[in-house]
Amino acid sequence: MARYALRRLLIAIPTLLAISFIIFALLDLAPSDPTANLPLTIPPEVREKIRLSLGLGEPFVVRYFKWLEQFMINEPLNVLEQWTGWTIGDSENRLRVLSWATRSPVTDLIVERLPQTLWVVGMSYVIAVLIAVPIGVISAYRQYSLFDQIGTFISMLGFSIPTFFTGLLLIVIFSVWLGWLPSIYDTTHVVRDWDSFVFQVKQMLMPTMVLALANASQISRFMRASMLDNLNQDYVRTARAKGLRERVVVLVHVLRNSLIPVVTVIALGVPTIFGGAIITEQIFRVNGIGQLLIIGIEGADIPLVQTLTFIFAILIVVFNLIADLIYGMLDPRIRYD
Amino acid sequence: MAFDSPKAGETLVRVADLKVHFPIHAGLIRRQVGTVRAVDGVSFDVARGETLGLVGESGCGKSTTGRAVLRLVDATAGRIEMAGTDIASLGSEALRRMRPRMQMIFQDPHASLNPRMTVGSIVAEPLSEHGTLRGSARQRRVEELLDAVGLNPSFANRYPHEFSGGQRQRIGIARALALDPDFIVCDEPIAALDVSIQAQVVNLLEELQERLGLTYLFISHDLSMVRHIADRVAVMYLGKIVELADREALYGAPKHPYTQALLSAVPIPNPKVEATRRHIILKGDVPSPANPPSGCRFRTRCPIAEARCAAEEPAWRKLDDGRHVACHFAT
Amino acid sequence: MTPLRRLLVASVACAAMTATAAQAQRGADGQLNIIYWQAPSTMNPFLSGGTKEVEASSMVIEPLASYDNDGNIVPRLAVELPTVENGGVSADLTSITWKLKPGVKWSDGSDFTAEDAVFTWKYCTAPDGGCAQSSYFEGVANMEAVDPLTLKITFAEPKPFPYTALVGAESPIIQKKQFENCMGAKAPECTQQNFNPIGTGPFVVKEFRANDVITLEANPNYREADKPRFQTVLFKGGGDAASAARSVLETGEFDYAWNLQIEPEVLERMEGAGKGKLVSAFATSVERILINFTNPDPALGPDARSVYKDDGSNAHPILNDIRVRKALSLAIDRPLLNDLGYGKTGRPVCNVLPGPDIYASTANDACLVQDIEAAKALLDEAGWAPGSDGVRVKDGRRLSLLYQTSTNSVRQSFQSLIKQWWAEIGVETELRNISASVFFGGDPASPDTFQKFYADVEMYTNNFSGVDPEAYMADWRCDAIPGPATQWQGSNINRYCNPDYDALSKKMASTAALADRAELAKAMNDMLMQDYVLLPLIHRSGTSAHSVTLAGVKMNDWDSELWNIADWHRAK
Ligand SMILES: Nc1ncnc2c1ncn2[C@@H]1O[C@H](COP(=O)(O)OP(=O)(O)O)[C@@H](O)[C@H]1O
Ligand code: SF4
Ligand SMILES: [Mg+2]
Repeated sequence: MARYALRRLLIAIPTLLAISFIIFALLDLAPSDPTANLPLTIPPEVREKIRLSLGLGEPFVVRYFKWLEQFMINEPLNVLEQWTGWTIGDSENRLRVLSWATRSPVTDLIVERLPQTLWVVGMSYVIAVLIAVPIGVISAYRQYSLFDQIGTFISMLGFSIPTFFTGLLLIVIFSVWLGWLPSIYDTTHVVRDWDSFVFQVKQMLMPTMVLALANASQISRFMRASMLDNLNQDYVRTARAKGLRERVVVLVHVLRNSLIPVVTVIALGVPTIFGGAIITEQIFRVNGIGQLLIIGIEGADIPLVQTLTFIFAILIVVFNLIADLIYGMLDPRIRYD
Repeated sequence: MAFDSPKAGETLVRVADLKVHFPIHAGLIRRQVGTVRAVDGVSFDVARGETLGLVGESGCGKSTTGRAVLRLVDATAGRIEMAGTDIASLGSEALRRMRPRMQMIFQDPHASLNPRMTVGSIVAEPLSEHGTLRGSARQRRVEELLDAVGLNPSFANRYPHEFSGGQRQRIGIARALALDPDFIVCDEPIAALDVSIQAQVVNLLEELQERLGLTYLFISHDLSMVRHIADRVAVMYLGKIVELADREALYGAPKHPYTQALLSAVPIPNPKVEATRRHIILKGDVPSPANPPSGCRFRTRCPIAEARCAAEEPAWRKLDDGRHVACHFAT
Repeated sequence: MTPLRRLLVASVACAAMTATAAQAQRGADGQLNIIYWQAPSTMNPFLSGGTKEVEASSMVIEPLASYDNDGNIVPRLAVELPTVENGGVSADLTSITWKLKPGVKWSDGSDFTAEDAVFTWKYCTAPDGGCAQSSYFEGVANMEAVDPLTLKITFAEPKPFPYTALVGAESPIIQKKQFENCMGAKAPECTQQNFNPIGTGPFVVKEFRANDVITLEANPNYREADKPRFQTVLFKGGGDAASAARSVLETGEFDYAWNLQIEPEVLERMEGAGKGKLVSAFATSVERILINFTNPDPALGPDARSVYKDDGSNAHPILNDIRVRKALSLAIDRPLLNDLGYGKTGRPVCNVLPGPDIYASTANDACLVQDIEAAKALLDEAGWAPGSDGVRVKDGRRLSLLYQTSTNSVRQSFQSLIKQWWAEIGVETELRNISASVFFGGDPASPDTFQKFYADVEMYTNNFSGVDPEAYMADWRCDAIPGPATQWQGSNINRYCNPDYDALSKKMASTAALADRAELAKAMNDMLMQDYVLLPLIHRSGTSAHSVTLAGVKMNDWDSELWNIADWHRAK
């Protein structure tokens, strides 16, 4: 397994390099202007100077390799230095990937935003899984029952209603009418005591639930389908024939086998947590990674968008590998060598 | 029921008017729109120590019958007596306590073994569940069982997928034997195996029956194999048993037109006889069990059907030689 | 009273008023919550130039003088406004000497001096710095600190309006000590400095999270001991205008929300909840339709399409005729447009230069009344006869126009209304909308920018910063026409060229007296209007909302809306 993982990682390197080039080129070639959003009162000559100061005067290839060096070498070195406190080489003058809009290092922006994204989006994912698995199991076990019908209906809603709608609906109900929950997430809030913890729960509640509904709809469908696949298998009859209690049959034999594909689906979904939830973050002002990306796109902050997209690409590649490895660990029929 | 099994032992299993219907769901909200009458009123007895063969075309309800007899599916109607206890209406806990006495060997030895459990734990699980053995005693019992079915006991730590089909079926048998059952339903236990392996497994089953005094309900669509192993044979068509007789009587002189047709399709090793034999070719397809024909269910394909067959369902009659047949014209 | 003196008097009155109102202590009113639905990306306005960054930083760093809510210049870090009369501006108009307020301290406790002002000039004009506000320092030949409290700015040529450099929120003073090592190409690397500038303003950055939220505290060294009234400010960004409005007007979570350009009826309904008030201020933003004076025919090559030619050979085949331009203007019902798109946040307008008041002409107000019949008569007179399908034709050419603008729901509804009106007078209109980032992006390779103007008419909003229209009115000079030779840079998007207009513009550049300047600016405005070079539609306000519990807000569209945040306080 270790050798397999290593081999996959080695293959991933050229893949990622190719992806990095494609991302860089696509974003670079797309018509965009970082000064487009500035007020028209700023004269064109000044705009031109701004563009030059952003390095846009240099040829494409030079900018690509600069970015690659900054992202692949300088940023990791920098992270290493921050963790260990060492000084490696000329760290003062090491160029980092700078965002055009903020003129600050892109990785710092990302690190600053990870907590809220992981809390809200990550928590919603955890909740989604916790809700979806039992719902999927019960729906499959009691296929066509009232429970199953209601579950199917709700997950259809979760699938088809966009989060901007559910989000707005919740805000109107719980913030405007009832005034129970804040409609705007305070990213500076620090949990110190019980009261501040309660506030944190309150402000996380709506965005988390909106996302959890969407995610749970999907996962519960997977879970249900996978359970149904397994429930009709002979090994389940075997288990019943052995005289196992129904609970053991379903929860040990059927569920464990049904979870194999679901776990990989869940693992494949993890990169989307880091990607944040663009719309939900916008609506509730969670201002995490998703919102960072959208601001970057709107403001033509190309280095920011390039770096974020590339990090997503890395995460996707890595979690694909992890999903495969998990599959191998869970399913003894799969052997990697 | 009034017929005697040749081995004249006590009746172990008695099935009376068993029905298993499955709902059909359709439409957007998956409403029930009909029923599949997979098993629609079958009755038979199995005597202790005997092998009852159950044959019929695929889809006629053999597996469902076998599963219902073991309460692996719930019966819609009818009685299933296991050593005098009606298990059709038994509560789940009481049923669970009955489980060790009746077991099943499945057609697909791959699908019937939990892929995430080692062979050892598959065999040991019923032992721990019913609390009969623990610790090293259980370990020894597993090894003993694997040995009994001709597997190397050191394979206990391997997973099912590491074995060949024949070996896997042996694991399935070892597992079925773990709790010392009296009665085993063998649902086409060899159909998925290579021909070269089939005989070995059948021999193993016979040998175990001999040694452990097992009672079998042996389901198969392979008439020659049933002839080899069964003492008596029941022939099923579209959810009903159409003929039930001693092996020799049935193979020697089939009385029901469907049995006759089935047997005429079995090649006979003697080429001379084979060349002169009359083959009955059945026309048409098997009707849907969701919507069976009126009267005699076989009438749509029966070569000798008459008007009466559509109007009147043939009675389950006992003929003079002791066999049972469901045909108006069988004598 | 000369207009300039009037400015001064007003500012003194203003200062006196705030002084009496200030009874409470610094920080006594707790926290102020502000929401800007576009989040600031830096606190250094020299590196961004965006309105949101300028406004956020205006709480921290200050210019020598600001514009108040009436467009008057009021001294801030300066003792008074230098004029020719008080000797602050040299008689030949080539230098201005600012006296700085004594005792002003940076938030780190050090003294604010003229050296800092000189440094700011050097910082913004350093090569490779890409300073977004460098146009404020145009014409500045030198700055020197005569003494710690005296700043002398020398201009390369006489500067009749010398209040540009270091005046207004877009041109504030940063601390020399802090930014000394951040000049030129090093500017973007000074993240710590750019996010946490040391200032003289009422607040200090405590934590800056780019594009998300800023927390600020009262500046302990602020020059007025009892201000600011709020101890902390939470400045949240992100989302959209409607939900920002909701958070003030409906849920009351925030005290102040900026730039609420949303449908007027939605805003009014929200205001009905009673938790907050809408405030608007009008400065110089005008939504207008620009007429292309050159031929945008795609059949012409890139060197001729929408390119101005001296000899008039590339004039617009239809719109070169003033009667057509006038007819287009007559057909528009401006008040109706305003009701539908802007409501209280706008007003119909007939001038491209709508303010300050002294510059606003009244000569063109007839445009407020739609007159379809007059428009039709004009087109008849111009020889455009109605064709069989209702579209006018002349010499085999259909009266058909391509009308482009940026993608934006209000603009698209304007487009379709105007298309209808123009259809009534026999003008066929093809509509086109382009993503704002492309339309306003300066990519010379893109055919879809507003500068390229590959259309017959186009619509957008423009304005000018500050209160002096000289540079803005110079936009329509012949030498500002964009074209391939200038990489399509140039502010005369119309490609309008009129020697009389240029002469007025030149004259203004050398006229000092405010009244004369006003006459000249009005004359230029009237010339543009009466020549139908552009059709002004709506005078747009800055519209914000504040909670009913927040007092002291003086909505200001000339400067930062937060210009007087030191005076904001909780309503008792
Ligand atoms: N769980 C079930 N749900 C619905 N229909 C079933 C189910 N199991 C079996 N059937 C139907 O019942 C009939 C008999 O099936 P089965 O007993 O498997 O036949 P055999 O074993 O003789 O091939 C078939 O038509 C089959 O489709
Ligand atoms: S009852 Fe009629 S249809 Fe049925 S088997 Fe006998 S002859 Fe054929
Ligand atoms: Mg079967």
